[in-house]
Amino acid sequence: MGRIDTRVWLIVIAAGLFVCLAYVPAIIREGDLGFAVSDVFLYEAMINGLLLGGVLALLSLGLNLIFGVVDVVWICYAEIVMLGMYGIYYLHSFYGVPLLIAMPAGILLTAIIGYAVHELVIRHLLDSAPINQLLATGGLLFFFQSVATLAFGIDFRNLGVSLGSFPLTEDIYISWSRLAAFIVAAACVAGLYLFLTRTFMGTAIRAISQDREIMTLMGAAQGRLYLISSAIGGGLAGLAACLLVLQYDVHPFVGLSFGPITFMICVLGGLGNMVGGFIAAFILSELIALGGYHFDLEWGYVFAFAFFIAMMFVRPEGIMGRRS
Amino acid sequence: MKFGTIARGLAAGAAALAFAVSAQAADKTIKIGVIYDYTGPLAGGGSELQARGAKIMIDYINAQGGVEGYKIEPIYADAQSKPDVAINEAVRLIEQENVDMLLGFYSSAQCVPVAARVEQLKKFMWITTCISPAVLRDRNLKYVFRPQVHGGMFGTSSTDFLAAYSKEKLGIEPSDLKVAIIHEDGPYGSGVAAGNEVGSKQQGFEIVLKEGYATTAPDLSSLVTKLKRARPDVILHTGYNPDISLFLRQAQEQGLRFRALIGHGAGYGVPDKLYEALGDAANYIFNVDPVAIWLLDPASLAPGLGDVTEMVGREYAKAVGTPDMDPKRISAHVGMAASNAHVFFTDVLPRAIRDHGGISADALRAAALETDIPVGGTLLGFGVKFPEPGGAMDGQNTEAFPVVVQYVDRDIKVAWPKALQTIDPVLPLPDSSPYAK
Repeated sequence: MGRIDTRVWLIVIAAGLFVCLAYVPAIIREGDLGFAVSDVFLYEAMINGLLLGGVLALLSLGLNLIFGVVDVVWICYAEIVMLGMYGIYYLHSFYGVPLLIAMPAGILLTAIIGYAVHELVIRHLLDSAPINQLLATGGLLFFFQSVATLAFGIDFRNLGVSLGSFPLTEDIYISWSRLAAFIVAAACVAGLYLFLTRTFMGTAIRAISQDREIMTLMGAAQGRLYLISSAIGGGLAGLAACLLVLQYDVHPFVGLSFGPITFMICVLGGLGNMVGGFIAAFILSELIALGGYHFDLEWGYVFAFAFFIAMMFVRPEGIMGRRS
Repeated sequence: MKFGTIARGLAAGAAALAFAVSAQAADKTIKIGVIYDYTGPLAGGGSELQARGAKIMIDYINAQGGVEGYKIEPIYADAQSKPDVAINEAVRLIEQENVDMLLGFYSSAQCVPVAARVEQLKKFMWITTCISPAVLRDRNLKYVFRPQVHGGMFGTSSTDFLAAYSKEKLGIEPSDLKVAIIHEDGPYGSGVAAGNEVGSKQQGFEIVLKEGYATTAPDLSSLVTKLKRARPDVILHTGYNPDISLFLRQAQEQGLRFRALIGHGAGYGVPDKLYEALGDAANYIFNVDPVAIWLLDPASLAPGLGDVTEMVGREYAKAVGTPDMDPKRISAHVGMAASNAHVFFTDVLPRAIRDHGGISADALRAAALETDIPVGGTLLGFGVKFPEPGGAMDGQNTEAFPVVVQYVDRDIKVAWPKALQTIDPVLPLPDSSPYAK
C-alpha cells in the first residue's frame, strides 16, 4: 500500500517538474505567461521529447527483458543494435534486398546473436559474481566494436532512406520514423506484457525470474527459458535497429550514443521492469528535449543526469522497481 | 616565375649535395612518428584519408632517395579517435621508439594536449591537419609548427564570403543578415565557431543563435526547433560526420528552412557521405576547407608542383582500388595532409640538415622559422611563413587560407575567393532544395 503511494507521489512530482521546466524558463525570459503558453515551438519540443522517448523506450525494452529474466546486464546491448543496423544496411544497400525483407532479416540476425551471446558466454557465468558478468558483457562490447571495425571498416554508412515527415500544424512536423519507433515501442510493451502474463511460456519466464533454483527443482527448463529470453531480447535490439537505421549513420561506434542512456533508463525504471523502463524513457527524453529547448542543448542532458542521480538517492530500486 | 627559378636552382643544388653526401650517409635515417586515427568515429570522418595522404607523401619522398642523405623511417600509430590514446602513443613513440619528431594529428581534441606534452619532451611536432586555434594560442610553444589553416580563419572565411554576396545574391544588407552558429563542442567546433562570431560581428550580422552540442548526442531535434524559432537566413555549422547527417536529416524532417548552409571542414569535407545520407538534399551546401589540391589550376602553382599533385591523386586512386577515379572527386582531406607533409620534407627538413646541423628539435625549429614560401608555393596554393616567436600564435602558418566550395550535383566547385572561383555561387538555395525558404 505504502509503495503505491510513493509511486503516485513520484508521478505527481514528475508532472509538476515537467510543467515547471516547460513554462517557467519562458515566463522568466519573456516575462509573459501568455507567450509561454502559446509558444508553438515549445509544443514542438515536447513532441520531440515524446518521439525521442519512443526510440529510447524501444532500446531499453530488450535490455530490461534480459535483465528481468536472466539477471545479467548486457552492457553490450547497444552494440547488438549496431550489428543489426549493419545487417540491414548491407542487405539493402549492398545486395539490393527490399527493406521489408531486410528488416525482418536484421531482427532474425540479432535474435541469433542474442541466442549466441547467452549460449557461448552468459550461460557459463550464471553463478559467477555479478561483477564478472558485467566485465564479460563489457568485454563483448569492445569485441563487437572491433569485429565491426575489422569487418565493415570505419566508414560511416547511411541507408539514404528517409520516411520523411508530415505536418501537424503549419510549423510543427512529425517525423514518420520517430513516430514509427514510438508506436512500435508502445506495441512491444503491450505485446510483451500480454506474452508474459497470458501465455504458458511467459508465466514460466516470470516464474524463473523470481527464483532460479526453486523453479528448476520444479521441473522448469531453466536453460531453454534463458535462451528464449535472450533471443527475444536480441530480436528487440534488431527491431530498434530497424528504426535507428532510418535516422542515424551506421558505424562501429554508434552504440556509444545510445548505450549509456539506455542503461540509465533501465535503472531509473527499475532494472527488469518493462513498464518502469517505458515510463523512465519518456521522463528522461522530456527532460532532454525541454532542457535543450530552453537552454543550451547540453543542459537537457544535465537535467536528465541530475534527475537520475537524485532518483538514485530517493528510490534506488527505480520508479517501478521491487524493493529487495 | 622568379620563385620558380630559385626553387629549381635550390632543388638542383640540394639534389647534387644530397648525392655528394649520400655515399657516406646512406644509412642515416630520420624516424618520424606519424599519428592519425585508423579506428573510432574520427577515422571515417576524414582522419584515415589524411593518414593516406601523409603516407603517400612519405613513400614518394623515400622513392626520390630521401632528404639530404636521410631516409625517412615512419612509424605509424593509431590514436583511436581518443585524446588519451593520442597522448600515450605520442609519448610511447618518443620515449620507446626514439622517434626524432612527430607528424600528423587530425583531431583538435588530441592536438591540444599532445602539443603540450611533446613540447615538454622537447621534440619537434609538425601538425598537418587539426585546426583549433587553442592548440597554439598564447602557449608560445617552441617546437610545434602548423602549416595548416587555423580554425579562426575558417570561421571568418565564411563570414567574408557572406558579406560579399549578402546584398547581391540574397538581397539582404549585411547588417540585416541573420546567422546562426552551431558547432560540436570540442576545441575544433568551438574554435571555428569563435571565428564565425568574430567575423559576424565585424560584418555586422545579427547572430540569432550560437550553440554547441556533443557529437555523440543521440538527438538534435531541440536544436532544430530552436533554429526554427530563431529563423536565421544562414546557418554556419561545424561538426563531425554522424552529427552532421543526424542534424541535416532532423532539420529536413522538422521542416527547417534557410537560405544557405555553410559547413566548416571535417564531416562537410566528405561530400560523398553527405550525398549518401541525404541524396540530392546535399546539393548547394557550402564548405570551408583548404582546397582539394586537384581543383587548383597547376599553372597557378610553382613549377613541378602540378606533377606532385597528380602523383598524390594517382597513388590514392591506386591505394583505394579505383585506379581510374577522377581526382576531382577525391576528398580534400587526402591532399591536405600530403601538401602539409610535402612542405616539411621539401623545405624545412632539407634546410635543417644543411644549415642547422641535423635533425634535432632545435635544428628543425630554426629551419621552420626561416620558412618563407610565397603564394603558389605549396600544393594547397597558399604560402607558408611562421611568425616571429613571442606572439599570440607562435608556430601558426600566417599565409594559409581556406576556400569556400559548393557541392553542385555531386561536383565540388570553388565559390570563394573570387580569384580561384570555378562557379558563380548558387545563393540562396534554389527551390529544388528541401531546405529552401
